[in-house]
Amino acid sequence: MNLFLLYLLLFKAVITSFSGMASLPVVRNDFVEKRHVLTDRQLNTAVVAGQTGPGPNGLYLVSVGYFAGGLPGAAAGLIALITPAFVIIPLMSWIGKYAKTPRIRGAINAVILASAGLLMAASIPLSRDAATSPLAAALIVISFIVLTSTRVETWWVMLGAAAVGLGAKLFG
Amino acid sequence: MPAPTLRQLTGVFLRIGNTTFGGGLPTIAALQRELVEQNRWLSLEDYALAFSLARITPGTNVIAFCAAAGARIMGMRGALAAMLAETAPSAVLAVLMTQGYETWRSNGWVMAGVAGTIAAVAGMMWASAWYIVRPYFTDFGSALRGSLIALGAFFAFWKLGLGPVTVIGLAAVVGLLWKEPAGDATRPPETEL
Repeated sequence: MNLFLLYLLLFKAVITSFSGMASLPVVRNDFVEKRHVLTDRQLNTAVVAGQTGPGPNGLYLVSVGYFAGGLPGAAAGLIALITPAFVIIPLMSWIGKYAKTPRIRGAINAVILASAGLLMAASIPLSRDAATSPLAAALIVISFIVLTSTRVETWWVMLGAAAVGLGAKLFG
Repeated sequence: MPAPTLRQLTGVFLRIGNTTFGGGLPTIAALQRELVEQNRWLSLEDYALAFSLARITPGTNVIAFCAAAGARIMGMRGALAAMLAETAPSAVLAVLMTQGYETWRSNGWVMAGVAGTIAAVAGMMWASAWYIVRPYFTDFGSALRGSLIALGAFFAFWKLGLGPVTVIGLAAVVGLLWKEPAGDATRPPETEL
């Protein structure tokens, strides 16, 4: 895949989202559905690779870039991830006061809420791909419950799920 | 307020950004301790402004926070150093883990563990959507507005086939026209960073 195009697609995903994982629907739409550069399994793996280590949640884009274009693709992913952050530097100077305007704040909150709806829509096919057995389906539900009702870190949930997967192979 | 050298500034972002698990909020909290309380390179007011604006900056909020804090302390080179120190080592680790997956995917034991992890990630994505919506469930009006916008975006994308960028643009227009219930305008959303 052309590196500049790869950067532009990842940049588009980042610039239209307001949190690390909210870019996922745009990434899936472009890379899995439209261009068939990645499979759902590869996208899931990219999210695992990005989430397992330390650092920001959006790091899965580096793995997406790697799948699509090798090491140069990973570099394009990293650059796409950090480019929109430069917007905050002029924002610091002059937009602070406007951000508290009710209508602007309302529009920003609506965009944030819409990203939740898009994230749910993107989660359906990825969940189908992940639910390869009744145990895996149960792990999806249990992970959701643990993450939304306790303060356990994501990393521990993923480690626990890996241990359950290994245990199931050992005893199954 | 004492000024750090570029090396000192980079060192803090390297250490905090690449050893703090759990996403953006714990990282920003740890950076507050280092930058505001211990080293006093950043005032509490500038920290609060960077924190608020990072939430409305497109992209990953914690990276925007690093850019803002780095720029406030040392200008553009501080912003660049903070962002790269926060992301580059973890990005290398993410690539190594992706390569590891590719290398080991024929190993049944590794794949059993990865399958469990992938299931947990699917659960995490549903949880992320809930984290985004949850702060709006403070009263009936906010919950109704929040639910309808989120579900509207879901159906527009899933059933009507609209593209994500179109859905986000429509949401911004709806947000401009549909006024938030009183009290919401100044309440920062507690979205996942």
